[in-house]
Amino acid sequence: MIKLTHVFKSFDGGQTYAVEDLSFQVLRGETLVLLGSSGCGKTTTLKMINRLIEPSSGTVEVDGKDVMGRNPVELRRQIGYVFQGIGLFPHMTVKQNIEILPRLLGWSSRSKRERMQELLSLVGLPAESFAQRFPEELSGGQQQRVGVARALAADPDYLLMDEPFGALDALTREALQQELLNLKKRLNKTIVFVTHDLHEALLLGDRIAILHEGRLEQIGTKKDILDAPATQFVRDLFTTREPGILH
Amino acid sequence: MSLDALFGYIFERLPELWLRTGEHLMLTGCSTLAAMFVGIPAGILMSRTAWLRGPVMGVIGILQTIPSLAMLVFLLALLNKIGVLPALIALTLYALLPIARNTLTGLEEVSAEVMEAARGIGMKEYQQLMMVKIPLAAPVIVAGIRTAAVVGVGIATLSAFIGAGGLGQFINRGLALASTKLILLGAVPAALLALFVDFSIGAFEWGLRPRIRRHKKKWVRSLIRPLALVLPIVLILMGSIAYFTKPGWIFKSETPLETNDRIIKIATKNFTEQLILGEMMAQLIESKTDFKVQRRFNLGGTMICHGALINGEIDLYAEYTGTGLTAILKHSVIADPEKALRYVTRAYHERFKLQWLKPFGFNNTYAITVRKADAEKYGWNTISDLQGSAKRLRAGFTAEFAERPDGYPGLRHAYNLQFREVMDFDPSLMYEAVARKEVDVICAFATDGRIASYHLKPLKDDRQFFPPYYAAPVIRDDILKKNPKIGDVLELLGGLIDDVAMQQLNFEVDAKQRKIEEVVTEFLKTKEIL
Repeated sequence: MIKLTHVFKSFDGGQTYAVEDLSFQVLRGETLVLLGSSGCGKTTTLKMINRLIEPSSGTVEVDGKDVMGRNPVELRRQIGYVFQGIGLFPHMTVKQNIEILPRLLGWSSRSKRERMQELLSLVGLPAESFAQRFPEELSGGQQQRVGVARALAADPDYLLMDEPFGALDALTREALQQELLNLKKRLNKTIVFVTHDLHEALLLGDRIAILHEGRLEQIGTKKDILDAPATQFVRDLFTTREPGILH
Repeated sequence: MSLDALFGYIFERLPELWLRTGEHLMLTGCSTLAAMFVGIPAGILMSRTAWLRGPVMGVIGILQTIPSLAMLVFLLALLNKIGVLPALIALTLYALLPIARNTLTGLEEVSAEVMEAARGIGMKEYQQLMMVKIPLAAPVIVAGIRTAAVVGVGIATLSAFIGAGGLGQFINRGLALASTKLILLGAVPAALLALFVDFSIGAFEWGLRPRIRRHKKKWVRSLIRPLALVLPIVLILMGSIAYFTKPGWIFKSETPLETNDRIIKIATKNFTEQLILGEMMAQLIESKTDFKVQRRFNLGGTMICHGALINGEIDLYAEYTGTGLTAILKHSVIADPEKALRYVTRAYHERFKLQWLKPFGFNNTYAITVRKADAEKYGWNTISDLQGSAKRLRAGFTAEFAERPDGYPGLRHAYNLQFREVMDFDPSLMYEAVARKEVDVICAFATDGRIASYHLKPLKDDRQFFPPYYAAPVIRDDILKKNPKIGDVLELLGGLIDDVAMQQLNFEVDAKQRKIEEVVTEFLKTKEIL
């Protein structure tokens, strides 16, 4: 379980806040989507979960323990992370990219290889033809699949995904969204998914947290939000002429 | 020269060429490695600590602007040591800039996105550095090493000036003997060496390039691994050539004592007459005693030879009374040769624990020299005769003469002369410059063979400005005391060579391009000493 309690984050010593008094929980096994326009603090929030960014005040707990009291390296190794943009290591093959965390954890080469093959087939890229390729030789969609495979390599309980499909064309994006839905069912991971795409949020989220200017507007299931929007901002979200993507 | 003769010339010098190439590679290789050990960590440190960047790059950049020869001479004075150590330090300092700068640039250019991924995935700091940052920056870093090594091959040719060996030794000697062949014997292999180093490190760099690593064609990829080995192999090659051809080379001065006792180290300055005198003393000692001679010829100018003698890096070299008097002892001119010799002998013994032996006989004073044709045309016989025309004349002097109190500064004062312009020349090029009318007046050495061969005329020093320059062996007191035999043998040369004889010897070597060893042996045999 991930739990944020009165979390504030300021990058300029308290003049302005990127995240302001944020409190919510992510329950075991659920997918929580952080939805908001760019600059609303959703990526900052995500990065505070694995301590890539440290909160100015408030607490972030993972499995009931304050992340600030934990070794950040060990914490990050237990939390899979799919990065915005590419984030694959360009000097490593697909195989090396996926095996990097198992390698850091000292797995045997046999279990590394088996895990790599298993993950590649899970994300729909046959190992025979993809393992030895470099990221540059892959399409954007294929790269992002490898990104997901890498995040799952050490079988983490949590998966953080930062607009993983944002840079892809619409067709590929929809295909990957469907695949993620299937994966979710099979993997039973706790997922925090950041997006500015309303459709994506409604499709993937078990629950959705809507952020605006660093504050939480509303958190709840699709039904909760559609039935009873908590604020004017949320109401507008569903009634603008071109619903879909927030900018 | 026929092709046959050319091959013969090269073949004869092959062993030494091999040795000098080894030394050259060693100088370049060791300094580049040392610069890598300092420069790469410095680059890494700077990429992590922003405030270090300005000061560190500033200092390294300033080092780079110091002219190489000035740097070598400065280090020589600072370390009070000639040879390999100051050369290695100078080369290392020059290699630092490209390596540190490229390391910094390479690391900076790694995308922030990739580094965040490395952090987010759970890499420790050093793992981020070793597994991601450095591999991605590697092509840029290696490009820096390549620049450093290639430039190093070039600068290393200058280390011969301070007795560190290398291919520069041929160039240096070629300059001293005005022998284009010898200069080329150093310059061509040095250029080839630079190309070789450039190519091999370039191949390594090529193999690191991402585009090559993921090249579609399998045979291209299969080249990468062998190429990756090229760099270490080149470096190991550099080390081993030098090491196996001349063991203990790098720690020359730490030769064990028992062998030291049997070796006499003779140095010379960097012009023909000195080489002849050095060779003469060497051959005599080798044939009349059971000492072995280490020839540290072409060591450098007066100050370098004197310094090396004082701190025991050499045992013996030939000095001139006038030079000892004015340049070393900073005394005013003593016109009487006998008095001058007595004075330097006493002062050297008291101040430096050095002993002057009996002079060879000739007086190699400076001679203000013009073209014979000009002298006849304008009726110049003495230096005073130049007074009227000096303002129209261009002078070519050696760098030493231009600055020494018994050189141009004093001459100007004594004769009230002011030349139109003064250019500095290497001693070996001065004669050719006046013969080709690039200058009109030079400060020739009275015994130089080229005075005759280039049809020049030395002007009479009518105001007796130039002190007498009688050459004599100067040897360390302790060596002489322990081995009086050496003194006895060198005394055999006392008074043996008059001005004409010395001019002739110089002429044989400079104009006829004969080998010094041959000329010296022949001379000693005719004098029935050998």
